[in-house]
Amino acid sequence: MTLRSQLLKGILEGCILSIISRQPTYGYELSVKLQEFGLNDVSEGSIYPILLRLQKENLIQGEMKKSDTGPKRKYYALTNEGHEALKQFIYHWRTIKAPVDTIIGEGGNIR
Amino acid sequence: MNTKDLIQLNNEKREQLTGTNKEYYGDMLVYIRTNFNKSERYTEEVLLELLEHLLQAQAEGRTARDVFGDDPKAYCQEVIGEIPSEKKTNRLSFILYIVMNLIGHVSLTVGIVGLALYYFFNLGNGNISFPLGSGIVIILIDLFLLALFVLIIFKRIKSSTFKNKQPKKWIEFLQLWVLCTLFIGLTLLAPWFMPDFGANMHISFPVFILAGAVFYIVSFVMNKKMRLIN
Repeated sequence: MTLRSQLLKGILEGCILSIISRQPTYGYELSVKLQEFGLNDVSEGSIYPILLRLQKENLIQGEMKKSDTGPKRKYYALTNEGHEALKQFIYHWRTIKAPVDTIIGEGGNIR
Repeated sequence: MNTKDLIQLNNEKREQLTGTNKEYYGDMLVYIRTNFNKSERYTEEVLLELLEHLLQAQAEGRTARDVFGDDPKAYCQEVIGEIPSEKKTNRLSFILYIVMNLIGHVSLTVGIVGLALYYFFNLGNGNISFPLGSGIVIILIDLFLLALFVLIIFKRIKSSTFKNKQPKKWIEFLQLWVLCTLFIGLTLLAPWFMPDFGANMHISFPVFILAGAVFYIVSFVMNKKMRLIN
């Protein structure tokens, strides 16, 4: 596992929760959105084990629904616990992001 | 949507896959399906999602390898690892169904053949006699052998996936032949070597047929209601 994929693992879960929280989303749509946001070296298939895990933890719920364009698809929506987990993620991310940015920036300055 | 509808839908959609994508996905499907204890519902839902995804990608000119990576086995194991276990009640009803259906079929066959032999050819005394204890143990041994047989077959099917070279047909046939012979042989040997114990039962063939019919009907209704198979 590369450093990037290790870093990404937990963060990806948070990003997926965030995307799903905006509107019910199906698998393919989700992977397209992740790519559009610039996470384009996340391999497409890797979202499915994560979606299963999030379902098992009862953070998201899937429902087979007819889509506008035709075929039945499994749309995911956040559960109450999912919304809570997303809040937690955003909180933790913010408390980590700023210090890490500073450390990396200042690390360069100290030398 | 029931699980069986999902499987049906998967069967129809899979036809749209072409060439190596079809092969790649077909192996994934077999590898992910041949698991005991995994929720059938989640298994079929994720299989359909993977298929939908691949079909989209295929339409855009990408391959299964692009979508799921170069190591399909590792990817499948990752997916399987996240599929929740089957609910105990579901597993129990499935096992109950299989056992009742099997006992129903066997009792009906034995009863009808026995009655016919007695009625038309005057063979036997119109009863089926067996010691109760031995009878129950034999049924348990046979069910155990059946479970073992199914388990081995599943393992074989699973290990046939993601192979570049297919093994020789005649070797496969021989292995399967030995396996089946062993299974049938052991099933028949169980009553042969079983010592008699427990109260002696004498059941007339019509009663045997009736009991078999009850088992069969209950299993039939169970399947109709819960769609355990098909």
